Amino acid sequence: MNDLSRPRRPHGPGVYLLVMGGSLVLGGLAGAGSAFLGDQPGPVGTAVTAAFVTAAMAVGFTACLWWWRGIDEAAREAHKWAWWWGGSGGMAVGSILLLTLMLRAEEQSLPAKLGSTPADIFVSGMTCILLFQLAGYSLAWAGWWLKHR
Amino acid sequence: MNNRLKVLRAERDWSQAELADQLGVSRQTVNALETGRYDPSLPLAFKIARVFGQPIESIFTED
Repeated sequence: MNDLSRPRRPHGPGVYLLVMGGSLVLGGLAGAGSAFLGDQPGPVGTAVTAAFVTAAMAVGFTACLWWWRGIDEAAREAHKWAWWWGGSGGMAVGSILLLTLMLRAEEQSLPAKLGSTPADIFVSGMTCILLFQLAGYSLAWAGWWLKHR
Repeated sequence: MNNRLKVLRAERDWSQAELADQLGVSRQTVNALETGRYDPSLPLAFKIARVFGQPIESIFTED
């Protein structure tokens, strides 16, 4: 081995799990805080809930930024590729469902679990698209590493 | 792009993990580089050249 100064070791799966686990805990704390302090009618309750969610997102995003800067370039490339192709692909697949339901709304009966109020249905729709994107992203990420190993 | 990473590493009797440590990348990245399935960025290519003490063009060649 030569005597070049060693660069910092890139973040591994352990750090990824730590960031994801921390984000989950953070989300739980934000949800609990919102439930306790934001459980009041009117704009104040909405503002408190929005504030908790915003704070949690900001901290989570900062943690992701720190993690992103610590991974090596191939890992970054895998995530970028997966986000573009997997996320876009997942969104396209989800959009088939979305557009079919939208264009043929009068002939479809939605499952009761999706909710009955406009807000419920809106949130369900957004969640569905996010889940499709996440599934596509995960598949594409795994595919990238399988192809490049 | 072709490269001589595996040969150069073998000549020095380094493991993939040891080379990865010197480059500041993961072992998986070194493996992807050696198999020619991943082309490094210019900064990483320069780092590789520095670690092996050879010019970039003697390590990486066009297909």
